[in-house]
Amino acid sequence: MVSYNKFLYDEIGNEYERKNLYIKEIVRIKEKIKEADLETGQKLKLELKELIKNKNTHPYNMKLKKFRNEEKIFLKSLRKKKKNFINTLDKSLSYKVKRLEIQLFIAKEKVKFYKAYVEVTYDAELEYKKNKLLKEELPRIIENMVEGKSIIKQAITDRKNIDLNNEKKVKGELREFKREQKEILEEKIGKLKDNRKKGLISKKAETNEIKALKKKYKELINLKSYDSPLKTNKELMESKSHEIKESTKLGMKILNSNIADLRRKIPVELENNRAKLAYFTLPIPGLGQILNGQYGKSFIFLIVSLFIYLIGIPYALGFGNYQGEGIRGLVTLAEGARRVDKSLIFMIEGILAVFFVIISLFLLYFSFRDVLKVERNTLKGIRPYNWFETKSTLREGGFPYISNLPALVVIIFVILVPISTTILLSFTGMDPQHQSKFSWIGIENYKMLFLGEGLAGSVFWLTLVWTIVWTLLATTLAIVIGFTLSLLVNNERVKGKLFFRTVYLLPWAVPAFITIMFFSIMLSQNGAISQLANNLFGLELSVKNNATQTRIALILLQGWLGSSYIFLLSTGVLQAIPSDLYEAAEMDGATTWQKLRRITIPIVLFQTAPLLVGQYVFNFNNFSIIYLFNGGGPFEPSKYGNLAGSSDLLISYIYKLTIENQYQGIGAAITIFVAIAVMFVSFLGYRNSKAFKEERL
Amino acid sequence: MKLFKKKGDLYLSDKQPLSISGKILLGLTYIILISWAVVILWPLYQMILSAFNGRQEQYLMLNDQFTFSLKHFEYLFNNTLFFKWAKNTIFISVATAILTLIIVSFTGYAYSRYRFKGKKASLMAIMLIQAIPTFAGITAYFTMYSVISSINPAFTRQVMLILIYAGGGIANNTFILKGYIDSISTELDDAAKIDGCSNLQVYRLIIMPVARPMLALIGLWSFIGPFMDYLLPKVLLTSPETYTLAAGLFTLINDVRNLNQPAFAAGGLLTAIPIVILFVVLQKQLVSGLSKGSVKG
Repeated sequence: MVSYNKFLYDEIGNEYERKNLYIKEIVRIKEKIKEADLETGQKLKLELKELIKNKNTHPYNMKLKKFRNEEKIFLKSLRKKKKNFINTLDKSLSYKVKRLEIQLFIAKEKVKFYKAYVEVTYDAELEYKKNKLLKEELPRIIENMVEGKSIIKQAITDRKNIDLNNEKKVKGELREFKREQKEILEEKIGKLKDNRKKGLISKKAETNEIKALKKKYKELINLKSYDSPLKTNKELMESKSHEIKESTKLGMKILNSNIADLRRKIPVELENNRAKLAYFTLPIPGLGQILNGQYGKSFIFLIVSLFIYLIGIPYALGFGNYQGEGIRGLVTLAEGARRVDKSLIFMIEGILAVFFVIISLFLLYFSFRDVLKVERNTLKGIRPYNWFETKSTLREGGFPYISNLPALVVIIFVILVPISTTILLSFTGMDPQHQSKFSWIGIENYKMLFLGEGLAGSVFWLTLVWTIVWTLLATTLAIVIGFTLSLLVNNERVKGKLFFRTVYLLPWAVPAFITIMFFSIMLSQNGAISQLANNLFGLELSVKNNATQTRIALILLQGWLGSSYIFLLSTGVLQAIPSDLYEAAEMDGATTWQKLRRITIPIVLFQTAPLLVGQYVFNFNNFSIIYLFNGGGPFEPSKYGNLAGSSDLLISYIYKLTIENQYQGIGAAITIFVAIAVMFVSFLGYRNSKAFKEERL
Repeated sequence: MKLFKKKGDLYLSDKQPLSISGKILLGLTYIILISWAVVILWPLYQMILSAFNGRQEQYLMLNDQFTFSLKHFEYLFNNTLFFKWAKNTIFISVATAILTLIIVSFTGYAYSRYRFKGKKASLMAIMLIQAIPTFAGITAYFTMYSVISSINPAFTRQVMLILIYAGGGIANNTFILKGYIDSISTELDDAAKIDGCSNLQVYRLIIMPVARPMLALIGLWSFIGPFMDYLLPKVLLTSPETYTLAAGLFTLINDVRNLNQPAFAAGGLLTAIPIVILFVVLQKQLVSGLSKGSVKG
């Protein structure tokens, strides 16, 4: 049994009386049934059944049918009338004006027709009001256009009558005027310069005055140049045509938004009351929108359909792949395929296919939801948006999505796909013997790492320990140095702040790879620092060949490099601490140390915490310093095997595994380990950051 | 407090006169500051010295006599691809900066001014994903590059590098720009919208001019990034013709065939000077940008 709401509703929930008397009656009887006792209820039910049985002979339905028929006839005849009208139109009118005239004519006819049926259905009411609006507004727009066009026409005829000799004269006059004004300008500028020399005005005042004078001069010349009729004429035409264009645009915009307003205020009334369209049209985005009467929108969704059925799904099935077999390639990994086929390409194409499928499913769902929403709303009484309204909602609500789209595409291809590849690789046995073809080996790689077995696994824990020690020591050293220096320089009694700040900036400003390489040279056997240490302290340094010395040198070097950044960071924060905090503390008798411990350090730490966390993360993955300084060495094959050196961090170890020795599988496993560790630490850092806590809006 | 010292000079300061221990502390402060300045300047000074020292051959030596000469620069210009490397680096840097600015302008504005589904979650997700070093995808980059370039030869390794740099910076830069735009009053937008500006116009006419310092900073960071990075160029760029400065200069101290440490010093100097100047001139903006990023991020 069908059920209807008593009223129709618009978007903000206003109630509208139904115009369909038949449905109204059904609703009325049903309401009575609810209230009635058993016996009368039975009677009413019978009545209802009768009503539904005689649906076609119900007076309202007959009226409605008559209206529909007459509407059809009317529209047919209107088409003919339109043709006749076009023939009567003035041929000299421009295309745009003609179109508007036709629109106006149709609107007039429609107003006449629909007026009689306003009470029958809301559709007629909408048509009537809409066309009335058009009838009222269009003439103004047309008039405006015609008037503007006639002015332009006039200007064109005027142009022919312009006396060219006069033009020459005017030009001469202009030249004369220009010269005169230039002289005056130069004189004035000269005066200003004199004043400046005498010290009457400042340098800034001088330049500003000169600028103002020059501007004035240009304006004068420009104004004078309009004495030329030719130029005035041209300018007039240009500005007039621009005006026409803009005012027409504005007029149409207002008209459209008024129509949109009507659509929001006049509900729609349907006889069926179940949303079915969305489910039927689910497989083809765009179809549902067409059936809902939203043609503009459907066009967009049809493009989506094209993407899904021409790109997304075929690719996932293996068509149009470079080498792979779509998603299936993820399982087979090119096993048994041609010789040139590479497992890695199969894997990446498989991942791409998965992303395509995800995107396609999302789009399908999105379209489905759109159709369903529109349909449900229509049943409630809310009219579907027309193209004008859709456009403006897209501009408003859709803006953030559309503007994030480029970023999303870049992130998917540059970050998500490669990282997914790495995740999958960590479950495969890609190594030097299995470069072009490899297969799934489950969690073997991880097992090897955590149990410390095998070629690569044995070094893992050693490297991990050093990585952690390095991260903590090097970063903390840099933070301590940088913070201390910023405190010292910020002391109000210290002079030469600018000098110190500039010098302390240098380690950060000079590209790190240069300083690292240079330190590496200076710390080699015969390098400058080694010799200096030898001469000054009698130390025999052999930094490059001694693991402990390399490590200490690395930590000190990172302290040197990293302190700069911390210095600038905390200087910025220190300068922003209000001095009344310190004054208040002094009044309460705080010592310098207490002020430092209770005010300065907490504020600096709190404000820079996420960035400090970032520094730890950065050093955890600081590849450059390790690789450029000593290539991860010195190498101790007895302890570290052939794949890593004693100063290698996980990241440089990964580099050596993947790039230099082609153990991509196990390298990927370590990468995943590193990634998870880093993400966890960063999460702790970001979670507490202000930007996430104090979400505005 | 005495206003007059014994000599009779007026003591003109709103600070208290220093006690003896204070003077010692101040002296110590100066000693620390100056010695750290020396620690910073000495290696840099050595670099400059060796770049101009005609007595150096192939390997850098200390305590050599100094003879001013430009021969290392000559070597750099004539015997290496220095200019090509510089050109590559600048091309990659500029392209990265432009791409980053375009993308981040949109995202930063959208994340700051609009409410939309999945806003917070997506931002957090991207932040976390971006904490993973770009290096993690290196194996895939290699293969992806070879596939795409065989389909479209215009897709060079350098383009790949640009995409990686720009993509890697999206989250952080969005975050920073969002923080900055958050601090701009929405009343400005509202006024502009009442006057009939569209969203893009609001950004172009209102937000962008106000946020210009931060945009400049982001552009600068993205520009400097490729100058500083060594790892990705080293891995992705294979022929010396396509190297960036970092990868190219490293061959001067790593590769036995064209080992020339003084020429490296000269090249390093030439690379460092423009960047150092940029940093020193923009010091103030950099510092304020940093701390703003920190307060917000």
